[in-house]
Amino acid sequence: MREYLLKRIIISIFILWVVASLNFVIFQVVSPLSPEDTYAPVSLDVPPETLELLRELYGLNEPLHIRYIKYVRNMFTFDFGISFVSRKSVISEMSQRLPATVLLLGSSMVATILIGTPIGILAASRRGSKTDIATIGAGLFTWGVPVFYIQLLFMLFFSYYCLKIFGVQLFPVRGLYSIPPPGNPLAFMADVSWHIALPLITLVVGGFGSWALYTRNILLDALTQDYIVTARAKGLTERTVLYRHAFRSTLPPIVTIIALSIPGIITGAMITEWIFTLPGIGRWYLDALTQSDYPVLQGVLFMFAILTIFCNLIADLLYGILDPRIRVGVRR
Amino acid sequence: MASIFSKDKRIIYIRRIQEFWFEYRSKRIGMAGLALIIIYVLVAVFAPFLTPYNPVTQPRLAQATAMPEWVTVFPQYSDYGKTQRENLNWNVKKGSEFVEGWGTSVEIRYEGGNRLAQVELSSQFSYNQMAPNEFFAKFRYEIENIRDAECSIALSLIPPEANSSYIFWKSETLNADKSQDVTTDSKDPVFIKRLGFALQENVGNIIFSQKGDYTFIVLIQFRPLSNDAMAEVIIENSQIVLLGRVHGILGTDYLAKDIWSHLVWGSRISLSVGLLAALVGTVIGIFVGVVSGYLGGLVDEVLMRTVDILLCLPLLPLLLALVHLYGRNVYYIVLFIGIFGWQGLARVIRSQTLSIRETPYIESARASGGSGFYIMQKHIVPNIIPVAFASMVLAVPSAILFEASLSFLGFGDPRVVTWGMMLQHAFGFGGFSQLAWWWIVPPGLAIIGLCLAFVFVGHAFDEIVNPRLRRRR
Repeated sequence: MREYLLKRIIISIFILWVVASLNFVIFQVVSPLSPEDTYAPVSLDVPPETLELLRELYGLNEPLHIRYIKYVRNMFTFDFGISFVSRKSVISEMSQRLPATVLLLGSSMVATILIGTPIGILAASRRGSKTDIATIGAGLFTWGVPVFYIQLLFMLFFSYYCLKIFGVQLFPVRGLYSIPPPGNPLAFMADVSWHIALPLITLVVGGFGSWALYTRNILLDALTQDYIVTARAKGLTERTVLYRHAFRSTLPPIVTIIALSIPGIITGAMITEWIFTLPGIGRWYLDALTQSDYPVLQGVLFMFAILTIFCNLIADLLYGILDPRIRVGVRR
Repeated sequence: MASIFSKDKRIIYIRRIQEFWFEYRSKRIGMAGLALIIIYVLVAVFAPFLTPYNPVTQPRLAQATAMPEWVTVFPQYSDYGKTQRENLNWNVKKGSEFVEGWGTSVEIRYEGGNRLAQVELSSQFSYNQMAPNEFFAKFRYEIENIRDAECSIALSLIPPEANSSYIFWKSETLNADKSQDVTTDSKDPVFIKRLGFALQENVGNIIFSQKGDYTFIVLIQFRPLSNDAMAEVIIENSQIVLLGRVHGILGTDYLAKDIWSHLVWGSRISLSVGLLAALVGTVIGIFVGVVSGYLGGLVDEVLMRTVDILLCLPLLPLLLALVHLYGRNVYYIVLFIGIFGWQGLARVIRSQTLSIRETPYIESARASGGSGFYIMQKHIVPNIIPVAFASMVLAVPSAILFEASLSFLGFGDPRVVTWGMMLQHAFGFGGFSQLAWWWIVPPGLAIIGLCLAFVFVGHAFDEIVNPRLRRRR
């Protein structure tokens, strides 16, 4: 187990190094920008002496391989530089922006899993029934429906039309809290929940279908195994077979899918933050794009990769714990 | 590859396709998806015939965010009018001795000697709809051969049952040859101020609040500076356009552009981006999967680790950064989506290749001296084509969604009209606060329809080429 863990961590660090190198290549080597552009907001009429000073300051006159080593070192020490816009260090601003994203991502994932899994189990246990067909339909539907469109429609009908027809704003359309925020911590929490409700609901609506379909398919696969036949032959109730025998064995693949879906969820959360003006990492990244805030872009891309790799690592380890066949450290 | 076209091979391929089609025909969901795709393709191909307007270079057709025409069947909108264009036909009311021809182009010749002269032209049109939010009036005047004279031109409007008139436009004193196209637009703050309204007031609503006959008056005054004064004035191209509250099949957006034409032309971009990006991704995926699976060893290890790394990259943020750096160009977008979208397929193809590699006929091909490249392209690739094709069909919707997301976030190609961009405009330029459902709902439905069509077809394909799924049903 320890060997396996060590091997996985080393591979993760290797992947991280590749991502950092990719960042370097994209932003510093083949980029149409000149290197100093990505370190400081250089306007067109900067005198050449100043430019030379800048290049000296950031070590841009050094040969490419030295710059590369420094770049990777900076990435691995989270020294992403200073944001052009806010003039604060990228990592400190990132920590301010993180809570909103974590709140949105975490709550939407938990809600999606809590709603999607039972539906998937239900569909698998009543294979061929209307519930099953509806689940397949919902799963296929989420393949073809952009989540941001669901969000726009919900926003249109539950915020704007509600305000117009009933005179009440059912859900707010922007921000994480009212301005000014309520002082009382309880009231503040209620306010935040109210603001995050619509993004959360829409993310769940856009995601639970595919989740239920995954669960259903994995469970159906498990239900065809020999040990299920054995369990049934023992005279166990269908309920016990389903939950104690079949569902238990679906946990490893489900955990893997959770990990693999993290990049996609980040993507979804980014557009969600954009639509609902939530002050999270995704919104920050998009703002940085429109403002050409390169230190932020490089930092956030790297942090996204770290998050994904970390989740994959955790999933792999959990897989090892949940699936006894993996424990010896041999991949299936 | 030439051998593909030999007669025997052709017969085999045709038979295979026939068998496939026979099986495919029984999948209802697949047929529905295919029908939907055909409709989209037809719309994309015949876009110029389905809509009278070019999506980019179209004139101002109606007011901004006009509703669709068919809403007038509902009682609350029954009074909403379409765009009304009136070419003004001038009649002479005063000073007919100077006028030499009237109608749409009026010629006035002043050889007055030393007296003041006044020519008054009038033109009537009737307006019987709810007052428009926007309108503009325009005309062109030309002054020629002016000598020792001054003249001034004014355009005014008299509403029905009113004594007062609105002065739309008034020239300064003109004493030299000049020609000018005059446009008075209800959105123009200078015009609103000249009429004596506050800027936030809706001029169109106030002026055209009555139904009935409106009269335009052009007043031309001449003042001689000597006994020898003379001037010629031509008034032409006069038009009043009362922009409709309703327009076309799907109304207009914030720039008063026809939404239906945007929707129709957008299908071209979505279809081609989706298909091309999926093709690029599939070609890379087949190549990597086959090479990795067949060669094995170090090559396999390197390629599969590359796949692992690509699976760790957050795709949308990366694509956004690339598009931002290299330019918002639709070809780049296709390329980027393709280049970063082949990991899953490569894994599937690799595992297929691994099992095909162990079959006896590959062994015998190798034993008879077939090179690796020969075996891969001759024996392995044809066998994995069905799986690759099914996966390509399923890659199309995700490519379409990626492009739509990019466009929605404002990183699409600005030179083409896409559905994502329509949603971006609706979101960013007041479509929501104006409750412009005709602007917000259709592009998304178009995206969903196209993506679901490909999902359905891909699902049906998958059931045929993937035996494991077939057994389940």
